[in-house]
Amino acid sequence: MSESIITVRNLNKTYTTYERGSSFKDSVKSLFVRKPLKVEAVKNISFEIQKGEICGFLGPNGAGKSTTLKILTGILFPTHGEVNILGYVPWKQRREYVARIGAVFGQKSQLLWDIPPADAFELNRAIYNIPRDRFKKNLAAMVELLDVGEVMGKPTRVLSLGERMKCEFIIAMLHDPEIVFLDEPTIGLDVVAKEKIRGFVKEMNQKGTTFILTTHDLDDVESLARQIILINHGEIIFNDPIEKLSRFFGCKKKINLQTDRSQIDFQLPGLKSLDRRNDTHGNYELDLDILPLKAFLAQADEILCIKDMSIEEIPIESVITALYETKKPED
Amino acid sequence: MIKSAFAVYIQGIKTAIASRMAYRTDYFIGITVMLIWEMVVPMVVFLIYRSGVAFPNWNIYEVLLIQGIFMIAKGISYPCFFGIVWNTIVRVQEGTFDLLLIKPRSALFMALVTGFDAEDLGKLLGGGVLTGICLANLPPANLAQWLNMFIYFILGQGVMFSFAVIMAGTGIKWVGNFRLYEIFDSVTAFGIYPQSIFAKPIRIIISYIIPIAMIGAFPASILLGKPVPQLGWVSLGVAGFLTLSLFYWRRMLASYTSAGG
Amino acid sequence: MKSSAVATYKEWSAYRSHMLLSLVVGPVFFLVQSSIWKAVFQGRELVNGLSLEQMLTYFAAATLIYYLIMDFADWNLQMLIRTGKFITFIIRPMSHWFFAFSQKVGHRVLGLFFEFLPVYLMFLFLFKIPLIPVYPLWFLLSISLSFIMMFQINYCVGIIGFWLVQAEGIRRVFLIFRDILAGAFLPLSFFPELFQKILFFLPFQFISYVPLRVFMGNYELAGFEMSIPSIVGIQALAVLAMTGITTLLWKLGIKRFTGVGV
Repeated sequence: MSESIITVRNLNKTYTTYERGSSFKDSVKSLFVRKPLKVEAVKNISFEIQKGEICGFLGPNGAGKSTTLKILTGILFPTHGEVNILGYVPWKQRREYVARIGAVFGQKSQLLWDIPPADAFELNRAIYNIPRDRFKKNLAAMVELLDVGEVMGKPTRVLSLGERMKCEFIIAMLHDPEIVFLDEPTIGLDVVAKEKIRGFVKEMNQKGTTFILTTHDLDDVESLARQIILINHGEIIFNDPIEKLSRFFGCKKKINLQTDRSQIDFQLPGLKSLDRRNDTHGNYELDLDILPLKAFLAQADEILCIKDMSIEEIPIESVITALYETKKPED
Repeated sequence: MIKSAFAVYIQGIKTAIASRMAYRTDYFIGITVMLIWEMVVPMVVFLIYRSGVAFPNWNIYEVLLIQGIFMIAKGISYPCFFGIVWNTIVRVQEGTFDLLLIKPRSALFMALVTGFDAEDLGKLLGGGVLTGICLANLPPANLAQWLNMFIYFILGQGVMFSFAVIMAGTGIKWVGNFRLYEIFDSVTAFGIYPQSIFAKPIRIIISYIIPIAMIGAFPASILLGKPVPQLGWVSLGVAGFLTLSLFYWRRMLASYTSAGG
Repeated sequence: MKSSAVATYKEWSAYRSHMLLSLVVGPVFFLVQSSIWKAVFQGRELVNGLSLEQMLTYFAAATLIYYLIMDFADWNLQMLIRTGKFITFIIRPMSHWFFAFSQKVGHRVLGLFFEFLPVYLMFLFLFKIPLIPVYPLWFLLSISLSFIMMFQINYCVGIIGFWLVQAEGIRRVFLIFRDILAGAFLPLSFFPELFQKILFFLPFQFISYVPLRVFMGNYELAGFEMSIPSIVGIQALAVLAMTGITTLLWKLGIKRFTGVGV
């Protein structure tokens, strides 16, 4: 099929911080001795990402996501392990490597606060040594796509957050990077701006750019990512196409049930009650591997007499929340 | 490669000046405050001489010439490259130092490009005026003296650069420590007075090892026809200091990229 | 008071390593100072009525006194006003100036151990300058008064932030003049006669110059010589007057802050 452009093998990152006590006595003590604390941020993770992919990199805060991302962008050295991206080892051939990638950090701006984005673009043209005609062509195309023509000449400080974030994307992609890393790119944005940016990412992806995306916004993930890597406690707990995510805990459906008779004593194998609005109206989770849908319908109608009902997929949030909470899922 | 680096640097200066001009009043207040601050030491020298005492064999204009040239040296180096110090400290503290590492240039060069500080041009102005006043009250120097002083002055800029690199490197590890400038101010205080007032070991250190005398004291001494150490030895000292500073920066950068968090 | 002082102590102990810089900066500056004065005193017994020994004592003591009384009350208050964080103090039961003063106490206790003591020992053993006040009790009283004086002057500068949004420039100019006029760079007796007379009626001499002269055991400014008890008495009166000014400015500032709205 397609070739993998990112290969990570047994990546490990351990660092040392210092413990500081909270009591007065501890803080006096810490003036003289500090207790080193070893933190294993990333524990032997391995994965591959194919060219042309949009890969969502998920995990709770402190799971090791940003450490991994920093290693992949050449900012940090790993403790040990191999990384090969576009044929480079990021931290060893940093300058050659970063010329071919781009990055957008939702919380760290590459724009310059008091001057227009156009000037920041110009500075980056010089830094990446982009030929003038290619720069003009790329800029025009992206300005068009993101609809930021009017704001380019205004000082950054007067722009809205959405406008600024669009310009961040332009900065990151002016030099035609093959891979673009996005670190929480839609944080704090309104719905319209989010949609515009997602559309842009899809468009650029169709033209061949590979995206690696970390985010806490699952709408980003659902609308963009095809591959999902879930990381928790420094370990990968899920690495598959997004379709498989909802089936991670088996084949389950969410059922909303309204009946004539009371549901209070209603119990079936494979059925879990989630919440109940009143005696005759409740939500359930049904495990289809234990109780097929057809059998459930027949029994429920017979016992309770169904008035109305709806069947939904388990929402991705619930799956991810469950995954974050498990320490180590059984395979 | 050098041409492209120069183009980046020019672009960096343009953006820095444009940013600064966004707050013009603030800019001029800043320059004024800085000039007042820079005039404190010359004022102290003036008050000392006024009370009827002097540094042996140095008249007041000769002493102030050192301080004028030192101020010019700062007026050039502070805007052009000393900004790497605050730029690095601020960026490491805010976490935006990472943004310099995702650019296809050396981190030190990126810190330089994004660290131009237009406000410090005020020092150049102040130093120029002070030097002018002193020169007008001193016997004129000949062309050879001027050329010689120019060579020493350029080497002095090398010392300033090395100092900036060491401070910026320290700023990588020592997060948020703006007091580093105090170290610079205290150590360079040895370089703004006649060298003859210092004890021999101190003079050797500030001539050859941490050659801060190169910044103002030696160039001024040359114009005044006073003896200075030979060019060969002092340039060796400057080269050593520069090499050491770049080595130190590399060490500190490596420790940044291998830290975690 | 105790809890906010302790909290500040803890907060700043995170930056204790920054304080270690004082151990380099202080002695290095002193080394320069002592070289200057040794050169200047060549062949002279007295300059402006001070001997070389007295002059070195003056600068060593000035360095140490600074560690005991310095604070950032001006910067801190202006920062709180500028960023809008000051609003949280309006709704607290403790007034901000009291909170800030407690902060200073906590911070300076830290300074006592990590700046004052090590540098004191360095002066004693490295530079052989025995720093013992002539009248220890009077000195203790005088330094306590200048601790308060420094805070009040800085706090007043901070209060200016209620009226001026961009008060940073003024603050920085003020700091320079405060240090010059307090005698941190040069004993005030080096200034022109007329200047000294004006200085006598300004609050700045009570920050460093007065405790320094009390430390040395004799006071002289603008030709006035004064006994130690009387100058400390005047210092106490000055602190009292400054308390009045600070309170007044504070009330006006708060009125302005709540009047304008946020």
